[in-house]
Amino acid sequence: MESSQIADFNFSNQLKFNIQDLTSQEDSGESSDEFSPENEFLTEEHRKLYSQLTQKENEVENELEKLLSRHCHLETKIRGITKVLPNLEIIHSDAKQLYEMISFASTLAENVSHKVRKLDIARSRVSECQQRVHDLLDLQLCCDGVQTSMNSGDFEKAAAHIHRYLAMDQNLLEKTADDVHQDSKSVNNSISLLKEAAVKLQEILTSKFNDAVAKQDSNSVERFFKLFPLLGMHDYGIEKFSDYLVDKVETSSRKHMKTASETSLTDKRAAVLYSDLLTHLFEDIARTIETHQPLVETYYGPGRLLKLVCRLQDECDRASQAVLSEMWRSRGLEKLTSSIKSGTHKSRGDPKEFDQLLGELATAHSRYSLYLHFLRRKISMDTEEEKQPTVLAALEEKLKSCVLCRTMEELLSAYLILEHHYMEESVRKAIAMDTIESGSQCSSMIDDVFFIVKKSIRRASSTGSIDGVCAVINNACGVLENEMCTKLNATLKQGYPTGYLDLAQAYSMIHARLQPSDTEQAKSLFIAHLNNTEIGSEYVTTLASGLAQEVQCPTQTDRSKLEGCLSGLSSVCAAMGMAQDLGLQQLANAAIKPRLAPWIDSFLALSHNLTEEEFSSYEANEPFVRSLIANIDGIVSEFRSSLTSGNFESLVTFLADEVNSQMERVIMKMEFNRLGGLALEREVRALTGYLNSTTSMSIRERLARLGQVAKLLNMEKINEISDIWTRFNWRLAPGEVKKVLKLRVDFPKEEIMKLKL
Amino acid sequence: MEDYKFLFKVVLVGNAGVGKTCLVRRFTQGLFPPGQGATIGVDFMIKTVEIENEKVKLQIWDTAGQERFRSITHSYYRSAHALILVYDISCQPTFDCLPDWLKEIEEYASSKVLRVLVGNKIDRDDREIPTHVGEDFAQRHNMYYLETSAKESDNVENLFVKIATELMEQAKSKELPRYDEINSQNINRRTTSIDVTCCGN
Repeated sequence: MESSQIADFNFSNQLKFNIQDLTSQEDSGESSDEFSPENEFLTEEHRKLYSQLTQKENEVENELEKLLSRHCHLETKIRGITKVLPNLEIIHSDAKQLYEMISFASTLAENVSHKVRKLDIARSRVSECQQRVHDLLDLQLCCDGVQTSMNSGDFEKAAAHIHRYLAMDQNLLEKTADDVHQDSKSVNNSISLLKEAAVKLQEILTSKFNDAVAKQDSNSVERFFKLFPLLGMHDYGIEKFSDYLVDKVETSSRKHMKTASETSLTDKRAAVLYSDLLTHLFEDIARTIETHQPLVETYYGPGRLLKLVCRLQDECDRASQAVLSEMWRSRGLEKLTSSIKSGTHKSRGDPKEFDQLLGELATAHSRYSLYLHFLRRKISMDTEEEKQPTVLAALEEKLKSCVLCRTMEELLSAYLILEHHYMEESVRKAIAMDTIESGSQCSSMIDDVFFIVKKSIRRASSTGSIDGVCAVINNACGVLENEMCTKLNATLKQGYPTGYLDLAQAYSMIHARLQPSDTEQAKSLFIAHLNNTEIGSEYVTTLASGLAQEVQCPTQTDRSKLEGCLSGLSSVCAAMGMAQDLGLQQLANAAIKPRLAPWIDSFLALSHNLTEEEFSSYEANEPFVRSLIANIDGIVSEFRSSLTSGNFESLVTFLADEVNSQMERVIMKMEFNRLGGLALEREVRALTGYLNSTTSMSIRERLARLGQVAKLLNMEKINEISDIWTRFNWRLAPGEVKKVLKLRVDFPKEEIMKLKL
Repeated sequence: MEDYKFLFKVVLVGNAGVGKTCLVRRFTQGLFPPGQGATIGVDFMIKTVEIENEKVKLQIWDTAGQERFRSITHSYYRSAHALILVYDISCQPTFDCLPDWLKEIEEYASSKVLRVLVGNKIDRDDREIPTHVGEDFAQRHNMYYLETSAKESDNVENLFVKIATELMEQAKSKELPRYDEINSQNINRRTTSIDVTCCGN
């Protein structure tokens, strides 16, 4: 209530001031007037001022009215506020009460938590104290126990006691000893006694362990091995144990070497002697790791396996070196690779001589890949996740620098040289032994060559080395292009022997004493090689997609490497495609063009300027198109079964193109009347229908031009052209249309000239 | 389908430790990894560069310099469009080996392959082979010549861009023996599953 009154008051005050302001201004205006000697003659300026004042007054009045009009509204508001006011007081007192309650609760809570904190400190002290007491008691216990159990030879118990002692906080223990004034002597005594016992136990365990190793008593070895970590001798234990395991592996590998050296050359494993030896070695090591890994993890904790593996790897290096250098020597790898590299290798006839050796090399490398994979898996399983990258990097470092790794890389290199040689020689041989089996569209080389290439790549893929597979794929591209495509290209370049001799051919034939059967052979060879190109392209595509799925790629980089190399196979496809195009061109040039020309030329002898009578006899006999179709059918059926579908379709397409252009050529030399045009269109339709029926693809497009020529010549009147000109997608230029129309003897030349197209 | 008009294979060769991997890393990832270990077999990287508003994809094969990987690296020569032969300007033996490398290139690579001689590590103070010696050698053997520093990123981008430009011009004038536009159209026509070597033509 009060506040609203104050506001009201302020408001009215302001009004008053405003009014005073105005009046004072008016006063000052008047006072200035007084100075003027002629009061009545107000100057222009004064009048202006006056009107301004009046305007201001009006404005103020308006404002005043506006403000006063709000008075009622404000009053209702004030009334509303007055009603609510008593409630506010209640709320205020409630809030005050609440505040008191809360502050009381908070002090209470603070007090409580303070006490709890104190309690907690007390409790921890108590437990610490308890711990110390326990330690002290245990110390005593350990001290007594150690001696008795050591005396009785119960080393497990003794070690457990020492372990308990070592687990105590040594500093704290000494402090405790100081704190316990009256008994400090006995505590210190116990400590020193235990220290001594620890050292003594270490010595005993070490010697016992060594004895056990010397006696090959694996149970005792394991027994003492388990005790080392209890004495804090983790590294020592692992080291000793590794030595023991290395010894075992060594003995075993020596045994294997000995049996191997006694294996006779006729033994059925003789060919894979060295890969067998490596397999034994890797298996021995893997088994050793596999069986002892739980022991190490249980008693030594995770992350200790790497040390063991590294020690074993050293032995693996030594043993594998022995095997591999023996292999290198006895298989004559050095000589073989260098003679192949220098190109002086004398093949003993059969490239298959390499098969066994290649198989052995690939197996050896594949075992090595598996072994590495095993090591990586074991080590990563043994390590906590956050430490894995560093531990695995340490393993990789070890592997990278190890002798085995380097030797295996050399082995792979030798393998690749031999594999390349094998592939090249085998493919050459397959091409040299190329035969055409009856009933087959292509020749034997295509299956043989791809069999060899696939075999080589599969074998390379078995090595487990992506670089190896990629290299063999690259080499395969080279061999396919250089050997096979070159051979096919050479055959196709010679052209298709038709057997329809021209003079020059006949002449050369007499000289070369070619028998007709030779021509037949050359024909089928040409066709087979043409088909080879199409089938070869298909095979390459299948090979590439098959390999993309088949070859295992452990990493994304490996995958993209593989794909990069596989894309190289597309260049083989391109080379095949080029040979195929060449072959088709040659075939068409030999078998289609020269034969088609005389058949179509016979059209020239048949007048197409026909009377009704001539037309009906022409219709009945179909002198031209019937024999043409029969002739073309001769060609088509000649190749239908012998060519692969793609080649056959290409050939028919070529045939259609040739028919189209040659027909046009002869038509342009003739003249036609209406009936002649009608006959022509029927002939063209028959021809198109026939060609279209020869393959599954549509050939109509190829003959579109000829069809349009026939349509033009079959028009009843010349002005029909304006009707059909807009309806078709014309293959003929306007000039050509006019030229065709001029062939109609009954169309006036001037009208043709006048046509606007 | 990826958006590029040309694809070229670039193969780096040269003695071990001359900085082939560093050159590739610098170009493809902008990194200079110190203490780079020896490459095992071959490494494979891809980078697309834009030249005259055309996207050119470079397939870069970084080969191991060590002798025992030779039979792997040889297999990459044949299909290469460009060969970068690298030596270390602060190490005479790497320069002395160049004739041997050229012999290999003659034997295994296509005769039309683009050959570039690169003297790397020009950031080093202990230069042993003066620029003009390298230049002379390159000129005598009909090669392009460039000096680079993978460490300081000197001339590295330039090297690859130059190669891409040159190969693109060759491809446009249809001089490339393989993978050029005509052939790849053939590939597109004949096969469906084999990775196309270039597209958009």
